[in-house]
Amino acid sequence: MSESGRAIDALKNIVYQCNRCAHCFDLSWLGDGYNKCPALRYGIFDSYSARGRFFIARAVVDGQIEYDADIAERIFACTECRACAEHCFKYITTTDIYEALKIDLAEQGLMPAALAAGLSDEGGLGEHHNVYQGSPEERLAWLPDMSRVDKPAETVFFVGCTSAYARQNMALDTYTLLDQAGVDFTVLSDEWCCGHPYLSAGQPDKAVAFMEHTLALVEKMGARRMVFNCPGCQRAFRDDYQKHTGKPGPVEALHVVELLAAYVKEGRIGMERYRPKVTVTYHDPCVLGRWMGIYDAPRDLLKAIPGVQLAEMARNRRDAYCCGAGGMIRYDFSDMANLAGADRIAEAEATGAEILVSACPACVMQLQQSRQKTRSKIKVMDLTELVASQMRPLRTID
Amino acid sequence: MSSLTERLAAIVGPGYVSDKLADRICYTRDAGPSVGEVPGVVVRPQTTEHVSQIIRLANEVKMPIFVWGRATTFIGHGIRKGCILMALDLMNAIEKIDLVNQAVTVQTGAIWHAVDAELGKQGWELVVPGPGGLFVCSVGGTVAYNAVPHGLAEYGMTGDGVITLEVVLPDGSIVSTGSSANEVGGVAMERYANGPDLAGLFIGSCGVYGVITKVTYRIRLKPDAERFAFYSFGSAEQAANTAMALQRKHVATHLVGLYGGPKPTGVTGEAFLHIIIRDSTVNADARLAEAHTICSALGGIRLNEEATRLYWVGHMYSWLRNTPPDTYYGDRPYSCPEATAFLPSDKVKETIDFLRNYEVEHAEEFARHGIRIKCYDIYYSRNAAFIWIDTLYPELDSEAWKYGLKMRADYSEWLYSRFGSPGGIMAPLAQHIMPKLGAGFDLMKALKRQLDPNGILNPGVLMLGDEPDNGNGHNGSGNHE
Repeated sequence: MSESGRAIDALKNIVYQCNRCAHCFDLSWLGDGYNKCPALRYGIFDSYSARGRFFIARAVVDGQIEYDADIAERIFACTECRACAEHCFKYITTTDIYEALKIDLAEQGLMPAALAAGLSDEGGLGEHHNVYQGSPEERLAWLPDMSRVDKPAETVFFVGCTSAYARQNMALDTYTLLDQAGVDFTVLSDEWCCGHPYLSAGQPDKAVAFMEHTLALVEKMGARRMVFNCPGCQRAFRDDYQKHTGKPGPVEALHVVELLAAYVKEGRIGMERYRPKVTVTYHDPCVLGRWMGIYDAPRDLLKAIPGVQLAEMARNRRDAYCCGAGGMIRYDFSDMANLAGADRIAEAEATGAEILVSACPACVMQLQQSRQKTRSKIKVMDLTELVASQMRPLRTID
Repeated sequence: MSSLTERLAAIVGPGYVSDKLADRICYTRDAGPSVGEVPGVVVRPQTTEHVSQIIRLANEVKMPIFVWGRATTFIGHGIRKGCILMALDLMNAIEKIDLVNQAVTVQTGAIWHAVDAELGKQGWELVVPGPGGLFVCSVGGTVAYNAVPHGLAEYGMTGDGVITLEVVLPDGSIVSTGSSANEVGGVAMERYANGPDLAGLFIGSCGVYGVITKVTYRIRLKPDAERFAFYSFGSAEQAANTAMALQRKHVATHLVGLYGGPKPTGVTGEAFLHIIIRDSTVNADARLAEAHTICSALGGIRLNEEATRLYWVGHMYSWLRNTPPDTYYGDRPYSCPEATAFLPSDKVKETIDFLRNYEVEHAEEFARHGIRIKCYDIYYSRNAAFIWIDTLYPELDSEAWKYGLKMRADYSEWLYSRFGSPGGIMAPLAQHIMPKLGAGFDLMKALKRQLDPNGILNPGVLMLGDEPDNGNGHNGSGNHE
């Protein structure tokens, strides 16, 4: 934090690095109409793009403009997909600037209304410890039995809010996969939200407090590893904890597809043939891909299933278009989320695939909703669901 | 919402106009160091008719319009406080790919590489590969500026690929040029078809005579082969002489000389040539063999051409110097007061000597302001040389910024007082070249007065009837002043 008390002022040298080249706008080298930024697609004025946000940030640090509701809308209407950073001509981590702007805006009470209510300490995330305002009892209602709950183990399966409350099949599929793969794992009875929503809202201190709650429980279980099916939760413990505390994350944080892909490679698990043959396309979750660089593991898993053919979308891997679910934008900018989701569904359909697979509960939920809204015939499922139906252990895990 | 904003909204729709400061502030300057002022309103037309109506309204209320494509130039618009900022990037459709007439027609805001990529799906390409600057530019903006492109040695300037244009004039009327002008069956196939070359009036005029709303551009089948060569030379003179020999033989499609700035990593030499050749496989191989013969005969030392290839396929200039992009474009809050000029090929040595002497004479100021030399690179055309003098100053330091602009002025004056011409001209360069154009400048001003008596379109950009406006530091944006 700078002397001014504003987070953005401490990053002035980064703000000034932007040379306004417009590489953050689109993926024009792929052809016509390939957007990169869901916010710019929605907002259409440059102020919704990365270049525009840097214009705004520079005007703020130069004292030319004061934070207000208009700026708040343009900064919070961002899925944090990181596509702008991935193609920045100056290699700027653009999201650091957005984060600082959000911290300042939140500090000044300019957080968008629905997000503020959803994360509040009274009736929101602060009170319920999950973004769905569910009860603690409901969080583990999907479990087949309580045998693994709070049982000291090598690995903690961190379920995450969306799996626990909104897509329980994903929680169960992940649980089953870990069980069948012979992983020594436990589930926490007092699991809270990972804290990721607070980061999107410009409240990193609250995020860290939530992470530390979980890490204390993980330590109590004697675990050395956490496994996730949600990239946002994984990033919180893999990267964000260290970024915001300066302390290394105390345990290894893996996405379940990383673990399973490694097991396939090691010959520990195999896959049954998918009948009849099917063509699938894979949507890279922004956090799993661009934020954490995990592109190959999900594809390796898909390729390991006989009878499954992968057809890539035009925008894939580091160029993948956001589904619209990121940055907690559904609270205040649901139209933007739906626009992005519809674009992504159309792109998936264009591959001829019958199934659109992803590896993130938020992405899957968004894409399933967009599929319904657009009346698409493509099936949307999480990779854990597909793998759960095909996996078989080849040998006992030590 | 002001009455002007409401009237603009009535033309383009309420969602396509903004007078909010958070929006307006994002339309003040391009990728260069020249600081513009904050427009009063931003309007986003979606059709040519919208553009026409906006211009008619601007005439009625006597409010200047500045036209915004993608703002990827490095020179500066000279945008004025309170003006109407007309951003054309929503007019971006690829309207027709016409393989019979070997042409593509696009709306002005189509992105150069998006058009090229779409053509590529059918094995075709634009006859000019795109500007030498930033490749995410709009087609209309690039033509209006007449940017110096890649492939200059064989394919010519951006304007050379234009077949016909659709333009909205400063009074709001809409004209088409070339063979498209025939209102009873005109086909966009030939530029020099119906009398004077009206397209030429708008190419390179930066929107002062009219707003380009549609471009029909030449296309061709992609060549079968691309070949690359990279040579070092013991002196700038050797490299310059070799480049002229290559020009005489029409060997290269694209020929780049490196005469200053960081030397390519891991090699020795004083100057370097990158040679790109595109042709049928047989012809490309023959041209490459000739390039090797010429370079070797004139003292060149052959280097690994992979850097040349990477530069060409990625349009990343760092590869000209054997370095990956992040080492070049990465963690530096710099900006570039770019000075450019066409010069006779036999004046390259003299120009490089001037630039090196300038470094020596101003060493103390360079050190004090943290000035770096990014490059003295030359794109060779068929018969001449186009130099990019790219110096860098630390963007956080307002004194360094002023010094950077002074350097640009010094370089421009030296070049344009001798043998240089700038190529694309915009506000900050106009003061250095326009007064030197004599009767030609008078003609341009007379045309401006006749076509745009109210001085509505991009006033000051070419100094054609308004007070000189160098765009070098209005107070409106507050970034440096």
